[in-house]
Amino acid sequence: MDKGLIITLEMTVEDLVNKYPQAIGYGIENGVSFVFCVGSFPATLGDLLRIKKIADPKAFVDGLNEYLAINKGI
Amino acid sequence: MKKPVDEHYKLFINGKWVDGKEGKTFKIYCPANGELLATCAEAGKEDVDLAVKAAWKAFETWKDVSPQERAAILLKIADLIDANKDKLAMVETLDNGKPIRETTAVDVPLASDHFRYFASAIRTEEGQAVMIDKDTLSIILREPIGVVGQIIPWNFPFLMAAWKIAPALAAGDTVVIKPSSTTSLSILEFAKLLEGVLPPGVVNVVTGRGSTTGNYVLEHPDFRKLAFTGSTEVGYTIADAAAKKLIPATLELGGKSANIYFPDCPWEKAIEGVLMGILFNQGQVCCAGSRVFVHEDIYDKFLAETIAAFKKVKVGLPWEKDTMMGCQVNEEQLRKILAYVEVAKKEGAKVACGGDRITEKGLDKGCFMMPTILADVTENMRVAQEEIFGPVVCFLKFKDEAEVIRMANNSEYGLGGAVWTKDINRAFRVARAIETGRMWVNNYNTLPAHAPFGGYKKSGIGRETHKMMLEHYTQKKNIFISLSEKKVGMY
Repeated sequence: MDKGLIITLEMTVEDLVNKYPQAIGYGIENGVSFVFCVGSFPATLGDLLRIKKIADPKAFVDGLNEYLAINKGI
Repeated sequence: MKKPVDEHYKLFINGKWVDGKEGKTFKIYCPANGELLATCAEAGKEDVDLAVKAAWKAFETWKDVSPQERAAILLKIADLIDANKDKLAMVETLDNGKPIRETTAVDVPLASDHFRYFASAIRTEEGQAVMIDKDTLSIILREPIGVVGQIIPWNFPFLMAAWKIAPALAAGDTVVIKPSSTTSLSILEFAKLLEGVLPPGVVNVVTGRGSTTGNYVLEHPDFRKLAFTGSTEVGYTIADAAAKKLIPATLELGGKSANIYFPDCPWEKAIEGVLMGILFNQGQVCCAGSRVFVHEDIYDKFLAETIAAFKKVKVGLPWEKDTMMGCQVNEEQLRKILAYVEVAKKEGAKVACGGDRITEKGLDKGCFMMPTILADVTENMRVAQEEIFGPVVCFLKFKDEAEVIRMANNSEYGLGGAVWTKDINRAFRVARAIETGRMWVNNYNTLPAHAPFGGYKKSGIGRETHKMMLEHYTQKKNIFISLSEKKVGMY
C-alpha cells in the first residue's frame, strides 16, 4: 500500500473528499455517502460512520485505504 | 457571456460588507464548464460571533416593528427580487447548473411570492383571549423567538433562503444565514438588494465551508433556534447541536419518495409526472419521486413510454433557453450518482436508459448526467432505499393497492410522494395511507408558499412554507389576569 494514503477516522470528510474524490465510489459501494446537499459531511469520518451505524469503522477505513492505493487518480 | 457576478464577495454582517477576520477565502466554480465564478470570504469563529451579536442588536428594535411595517418591507423585498429576476436567475443557473428555464419560472418567482405570502400572513395573525372563569382572563400572544441560525443547501439556494428568511422576518426574528459553500452567490446577490431595505443586522450572511463556518454556527451559544434544510445524516448533527443548547430546530431532510401509478392514471400527464418527479432540478430534490411504482397491468407499456420521454429530454448548457436538464452541482455529486448506478447493476437492476455521464456536444467540461431509468428494481434494493439525489429513477411493479402501500411505506423516509389515478376514493385512501408529509395527487413537485411542506420519519421535524411557519419562528406568551379584587384566601 502507498504509505502516503493514510485515511483515519479523525480525518474530516471534507478533507477526504477534496484530496481523494475517488473515495466517494468506495463510500457508496460500502453504504456510506460522504457528500450531501449541503456539501461534504461537516465532521470527521468517524462521526459519519457512527451516524451510519457502521459496525466496524476500522475495517471500513482499512478497506478505503486499500481502495485508494489501487484506484489512484480516478 | 459577461458573468453577472462579482469577482469577490465579502461577508454581509450588520448591514456592511466585511472581509473575514482570518482573511480566508474559497472559490466557486460553474459546474457546467468548470470556470471560476468568484471567490468568497470564509467566515471564521469571530465573524460568526459578530454576525450573531449584530443580529441580537437588530432584534432589539426589529421585534417591535409593527406587522404593517414588516409586511411593507417584505413586499418591498419581493418587488426587488422581481425587478432583478433575470440577473438572480442567471446567477443561480451559473452557480448551481440548473437550467435557466427553471430558475426563471420556479426558483426566483417562488422566492418573491414567498415574501409576499408572509407579508400577507403576518397581517392576519391574531392572539387569543379566553375567560377562564368570570374573574380570570387568559391572553395568548405570539412573540418573536430571537436570533435564528439558518443553514441552506446547494440544490435550491435562493428559494430555500426565501423559505427560511421570509417567515423569520415576518415573525420579528433576526437571522444569521449560511449558504452552502458550493452555491453562495445568489444569496450574496440577494443581500445586496437588502441593503437599505432592512435595518442593519436583521439579516446577516456568513459564507464558508460546513466543517468550519457551518460548525461555528452550530456551536454558537446565542442562537434561539436553528433551521436547516439538508440531508438526514447532517440533520443528526444539527439536532444534536440544538439539543445541547436546548433550543428548537426545524429540520427538512432527505427522502426516497414514492410516485404511484394505477391503470386509470391520466396517461400523458402521468408520464410527464415521472419526469417532473425525477428530472426537475436534475433530480437533486429532497422530495424527488425517485421510486416509481407501476401497476403490473400497465408496467411494460408505461415503462416503454417513459423511456421514450426520457430520451427526448434535452440535456444541455444550463444557460441555454431550450435546455430541459442542466448539470449536477459538482463532480463529487456526479461521482456519487454514477456509483449508485454501479450498485444498481450489481443488485440486479436493469439500466433501461441512461446510466452514464455525458461528455459530448460541448458538455465535456461539466458534470452532466444522462436521465436514467433503473427497471426491475425490487423494494429492498439499496437503490430503492437510499437517496441518490440525481436524475435516476427506480421502477418497481405492484399487484394491488395494499401491496403498493406496504412497499411505499417500506422506507426510513417520508417527505414527498404522489398517487396517479382518476378514482378519487382510491386517491384519498392511498394519500392517507402513505407515511409522508406531502402527497400529491395527479401532480408532482408543486411547491407553493401556502401549502405546508416537511417530513415524517427521518425526513425531518417541523414544516417549511405555509403560515404555520410563524408558529415555528415565534414563542407563545400567556398573560394571565385576575380581574377580582378579592384575596385568594389561602394565606
